[in-house]
Amino acid sequence: MTAQGVAKVDDRREAVTLTFADQLFVPLPSGALYWPDEQTLLVADLHLEKMSSFVARGLFLPPYDSYATLRLVGRDVEATGAKRLISLGDSFHRDTGTGTLPPDARALLDRLTKDVEWVWIAGNHDPAPHDLGGRCCGGLSIRDITLTHEPAAVHDRVIAGHLHPAARVYINGRSTRRPCFAADDRLLLMPAYGVSTGSINILSDPFTGLLNRAALRVMMLGRDAVYPVSVRRLVRG
Amino acid sequence: MPDLPPQIAEWFDRKGWAPRPHQTEMYGIARSGKSALLIAPTGAGKTLAGFLPSLAEMIEAPQPGIHTLYISPLKALSVDVARNLMTPIGEMGLGIRVETRTGDTPVHKRQRQRYDPPNFLLTTPEQIALLTSHPDADRTFSGLRRIVLDELHALVTSKRGELLSLGIARLAKLSPGISITALSATVAQPETLRDWVAAPVAPQAAELVMMKGGAAPEVDILKSTERVPWAGHSATYAFPELYETIKQNGTSLLFVNTRSQAEMLFQGLWEINSDNLPIALHHGSLDVEQRRKVESAMAAGKLRAVVCTSTLDLGIDWGDVDLVIQVGAPKGSSRMLQRIGRANHRLDEPSRALMVPSNRFEVLECEAAIEAIADGAQDSEEPVSGGLDVLAQHVLGMACSAPFRADDLYDEIRHAWPYRNLSRDLFDRVVQFVANGGYALRAYERFARLRLTPDGTWRVANPRVAQQYRLNIGTIIEEPMVKVRLVRARGQKQGATTGPIGRGGRLLGEMEEYFFNQLTPGDTFLFGGEVVAFEMIRENEAYVSRAFAPNPKIPSFMGGKFPLSTYLAERVRTMISSPDNWAHLPDQVRDWLSLQRDVSVLPRRDELLVETFPHEASNFLVCYPFEGRLAHQTMGMLLTKRLERARARPVGFVASEYSLAIWGLGDISAMIRLGRLSLDELFAPDMLGDDLEEWLNESSLMRRTFRNCAMIAGLIERRHPGKEKTGRQLTMSSDLIFDVLNQHEPDHILIQATRADAARGLLDIRRLSDCLDRISQHIIHKPLDRISPLAVPAMVEIGKVQIFGEARESAMAEAAEELMREAAGA
Repeated sequence: MTAQGVAKVDDRREAVTLTFADQLFVPLPSGALYWPDEQTLLVADLHLEKMSSFVARGLFLPPYDSYATLRLVGRDVEATGAKRLISLGDSFHRDTGTGTLPPDARALLDRLTKDVEWVWIAGNHDPAPHDLGGRCCGGLSIRDITLTHEPAAVHDRVIAGHLHPAARVYINGRSTRRPCFAADDRLLLMPAYGVSTGSINILSDPFTGLLNRAALRVMMLGRDAVYPVSVRRLVRG
Repeated sequence: MPDLPPQIAEWFDRKGWAPRPHQTEMYGIARSGKSALLIAPTGAGKTLAGFLPSLAEMIEAPQPGIHTLYISPLKALSVDVARNLMTPIGEMGLGIRVETRTGDTPVHKRQRQRYDPPNFLLTTPEQIALLTSHPDADRTFSGLRRIVLDELHALVTSKRGELLSLGIARLAKLSPGISITALSATVAQPETLRDWVAAPVAPQAAELVMMKGGAAPEVDILKSTERVPWAGHSATYAFPELYETIKQNGTSLLFVNTRSQAEMLFQGLWEINSDNLPIALHHGSLDVEQRRKVESAMAAGKLRAVVCTSTLDLGIDWGDVDLVIQVGAPKGSSRMLQRIGRANHRLDEPSRALMVPSNRFEVLECEAAIEAIADGAQDSEEPVSGGLDVLAQHVLGMACSAPFRADDLYDEIRHAWPYRNLSRDLFDRVVQFVANGGYALRAYERFARLRLTPDGTWRVANPRVAQQYRLNIGTIIEEPMVKVRLVRARGQKQGATTGPIGRGGRLLGEMEEYFFNQLTPGDTFLFGGEVVAFEMIRENEAYVSRAFAPNPKIPSFMGGKFPLSTYLAERVRTMISSPDNWAHLPDQVRDWLSLQRDVSVLPRRDELLVETFPHEASNFLVCYPFEGRLAHQTMGMLLTKRLERARARPVGFVASEYSLAIWGLGDISAMIRLGRLSLDELFAPDMLGDDLEEWLNESSLMRRTFRNCAMIAGLIERRHPGKEKTGRQLTMSSDLIFDVLNQHEPDHILIQATRADAARGLLDIRRLSDCLDRISQHIIHKPLDRISPLAVPAMVEIGKVQIFGEARESAMAEAAEELMREAAGA
């Protein structure tokens, strides 16, 4: 029996951009979306304190995910020089998670919410407002673009999270599955950002009817780059 | 030897039998209260040797409750042994109760067995773990006198052996003075196995009884008139000759190494089965019902041939197998001997076996195996030891049974051979892990499963803990499986993603979910002996339809399972290096090696040959370590990293059982000639340092290993039918858990356990390390202007095999470039 490997991929490519609702965005391989004209960094579905929530089922998962996620946010803020951060809901895996952040994660969050203008949009996992710094709200609009957690059935100029989109490409006998940005001309879906989050293929049921395939653009998160991929190559699974 | 009780002696007389020498020897040892390991080939009456002392003791001093525990790796074996015991017990008129207890035993019966146990309980390692975790374990085992361990050689090489060793250590503590009788097939290191048996009864020793094999087996290699292919594993060239062989013999067992090979062989034989011979298929993916049908047809003598995988390596005795055929390389001489032992379970007659190599290197391997068998050489694996995940599971089980003191439990578990050298520090960290996750960041102390009470004992925090433990017991982690259902194809062309699909078709069996993850609708593969097309995954089922293609598009659904044993590898290297001994090789193989000698070099036994040559648009480096695919794969990953640093611009590699081929853009021959690349440095053993570390952290093999460790240790729950998550979600989350833990607490004991397992199993690092030490300063470089004969088998694999699971970025990059081309209007 044999196995074959590819040793190296050239990841050096120029930054990918995404135009949506007449605005220019820069999708980052971490899953964040930078909006240069607003100096704003968008993230969705941080799901902080997800690992520790399993303790209710008697499982002791490593309590390091919140810190790991926030550290990534911190790096993205630094790299982009963003002045504002908007977290598009499900920032915490459950409301009670706002009270269980370990000290190091809490300290990091305190620093971040002081450094940038921080906005928490409520999600289905964390509807309740809290006082961890920044501002809590149900959703907001900037330059006529609606930022919300869960996209409504009818929508236009909406950026949302909630669905944890992923794509699988299949090309030349190989396939890769990664979280992705998925957008048509009305809706831009953000990948889940948190290190403990899973993902769902955009060709599966939860996405039915949401995106217009003719205008679909998919950008997959690579290790060091974002890859806008050919929609023809998408497969299920 | 003490006399047999009259009931037994008379029974032997009535049957006209006499106990065999090894049976009387074992009887004598056991009656003096001592433990022993009996090593004997199959068919030697080992079971009776194990139970004679128990029968005698029960006759002389009848007692209620469990007197003897019989533990074997297979449910089927317990059931078979129970049947074989009940006959003589009935004929001797003894009132001894014999019962089995396995995962299939109904709950009410299992409960009854705890308060009203039989005299002989026949069971599995998992059931021992369950029984000893109950608070009434001391009562259940208060009368236990003897433990009989069957097929011990098969148990000790896996984590089940570790679990069993811990269970026996507990039994030895619950019932002081027990003796152990262990039964094993021939192994490479009998003394090690004896120590394994003796550890729990220390300071008592255990005797070692070795029975010489009966008649030497007659083993041949198929003398084919066809061309043996360069590469591949299907042996299709030999199918017609195999069919003739089956026709000429009574009943044949055809062993192959993987399920996909079994499928191909089975399908191939039926295509030419003009006589409609009853030929059946048996492998682990087939529906249980179907497997039972095959087994009973076999036992009833209704079959002429069964194509099978290692699922039939062990198991019940079928008596009348005339010929064992090994299709594909045997991989190890002990494994081959075990398989040969499945033919003709009469000791005085030789077993007959035929080996069918599927490519030219395998011809050498088969020759090596025949030499090894003639020499009686064994290369069985050593017992595994020290698994911290298994220990964690055991610690929780013991806490469920009764509060414990750390000092006492530490002393107890060191009576289990695999844990004899465990440090107190590691033990304490395992206890901490069980109690609250054992993280440096003490986040869970409020929710602890175990609490240290003021009297110095650890106690379970609440009864739910015990429930959870019992649901997650055992060390066998199944890959997430999906059911494979045959449905009607969509009306349109294959691969269409819309249109109705038939439902509720016949269930064909089960298959690993990851296999389907790489398929697209319309891909065809072999399953259950027919070519089917993948339609879709729905919930926990994969829908497939009958495909009318003659050949499947996806060639295999699993890599080779067993690596080439170090021992056979050395024999193969020796064979290649000594042309004087090529006389008995088939002409085409001899010609191939002679040509290699003429145009390149034949490496000596202790040398590593490295050839470099240009081929098509790439430059190749091919080496021949003969250390098995896993070790070569690891080596390939590490060498490409180094070649990259040396600016040789490597592009990819192919690892086979025998060789490793790396190709790239840089001219490696010239780099070596000009002194810009040193092979000694390239292959220096320090590649197992930082490079390995870096690769491990991104390796999917590590993640898979972690998932198993995490489930065994109880960090995450197993999947239970009809409950919660699908396997994919679970796999994904264990990957995420690994990433977070590996990054933030890399010396956590579960990461330690994962590294140890991966080094031993999937990555074969120890073997690679031994290999690097062996070849150090023994590398010969042969620059060539074109491909060498020895390199051909590796080269023909390139492009035919799937890309290994790493470096998948390239698929996205290609899909992205395609988009760019579309955008540019190309």
